[in-house]
Amino acid sequence: MRLHWLELILFSTYAELRAERARSYLGFLWWIIEPAMNMATYYLVFAVVLKTGQPDYVPFLLIGLTLWQWFKSGVSHGGLSIWQQLNLIRQVRLPLQVFPSVQILADTVKFAFILSLLLVILWAYGYKPNITYFGLIPVLLVELIFTAAVAYLVAAFIPFVPDLRFVIEQVLQVVMFISGVVFSLDSIPPDLRRWFELNPIVELIDAGRDILMYARWPDWIALGRVTAISLAFFALGTYLIRRYTPRYVKLPT
Amino acid sequence: MNEPIIELQNVGIAFNAQLRLGAPRFWALEDVNIALPRGARLGVVGRNGAGKSTLLRVLAGILAPDRGRIRRGRASCQLLSLALGFVPYLSGRDNAILSGLMLGLRRREIERRLPAILEFSELGDFFEQPVSSYSTGMYARLGFSVAMQVEPDVLLIDEVLAVGDTEFQQKSGAALRERIHSGTTVVFVSHMDAQVRNVCDCAVWIEHGRSVMQGPVDEVLAAYHAAAPVAEVAQ
Repeated sequence: MRLHWLELILFSTYAELRAERARSYLGFLWWIIEPAMNMATYYLVFAVVLKTGQPDYVPFLLIGLTLWQWFKSGVSHGGLSIWQQLNLIRQVRLPLQVFPSVQILADTVKFAFILSLLLVILWAYGYKPNITYFGLIPVLLVELIFTAAVAYLVAAFIPFVPDLRFVIEQVLQVVMFISGVVFSLDSIPPDLRRWFELNPIVELIDAGRDILMYARWPDWIALGRVTAISLAFFALGTYLIRRYTPRYVKLPT
Repeated sequence: MNEPIIELQNVGIAFNAQLRLGAPRFWALEDVNIALPRGARLGVVGRNGAGKSTLLRVLAGILAPDRGRIRRGRASCQLLSLALGFVPYLSGRDNAILSGLMLGLRRREIERRLPAILEFSELGDFFEQPVSSYSTGMYARLGFSVAMQVEPDVLLIDEVLAVGDTEFQQKSGAALRERIHSGTTVVFVSHMDAQVRNVCDCAVWIEHGRSVMQGPVDEVLAAYHAAAPVAEVAQ
């Protein structure tokens, strides 16, 4: 039975990407153009206009944005997915984790394109591939779990309070600014910074920058802590979705 | 009579009327008692809003009872759902696979049945085209052909016995009748006496969320109509 749901998730992901490609003239080119435009906007505002002038700001910004956008799109798409599929859920019995998982996987495929683009840009800037690249594997895996965990938690509640969807984007925007995506958190006093580092995204982006810019292995202890948090949230999200499943099907149309 | 495949005892289902804090609940089913023997073809009759469709979703395992209890034997129950989960921009083939997976089939089982789906739906080359380019009739044909590939132990049917244009209605109707009479356990909701008589070998009458009577089709229909207000009979 487990294998069967995995088949459904994988095929739905393919279907989602395929349908998305068919909905526009440029198709999957948008998977690269859209984030590239987004990056260009931040680059213009923070590097050119505001002259946020630390050295290496461009790679710093691009790595932060790439890792952030993957998380953000996974949470905003996955978070709405159960609510969007309520009609389907009323007709057939499925494990509902399928729906956020499909969205996250689809966003992961798009992320793979952007990550490749990022690597090419970094190499052009002179940041050569190095042995610590292997450290990216656990870092990305943990980010995937954390993204799924947050998406599951959001997805579990949105059907009861659909109004939350207006809030999510704003909250994510705030979280981005306190996650050290566009500004370095170095300027924050150390005792305050400890609190910021409770945010798993901060650690994940730091690890990404260590690897890609400084050829440094990630801080394994910090990564271990983030893994534990991610797994705990993931378990909680899964539990809540399963527990609320009988109530979703009774929500008014 | 053999051991029931599903048995409902004093089952009640409550819904929230609105998405609002403290919204009142209403009981779509109040007190339903049904025993469904293996191989039975049970007709469900009752007026609009009596709770017939809700009952089907309880039997399908989608809705869990808020009171009372359900006893199930080892059996798969599935609503006959047409075009379940179809995505407009995907081809007929991809939608058939997607829908089949949602209905509980394994990928390779669906792949094996694709030729049969293609043939039964009479879509020809359109099978590879996005379903958004289909006519209503083509869409219905594909939806029906896919739905017929699922072979649950208990088939739950809500009104629909045939789909599509006149010609396909005969074909789909015949296919469904064949399935119904092949020994599968069937629960069939309908407003039409003739259909219930045709399909079912027993019936249950639901009124205001309560099961009033279960028994032979003719007796249940007679009692149901005897109690019916004239205006509704005319309908």
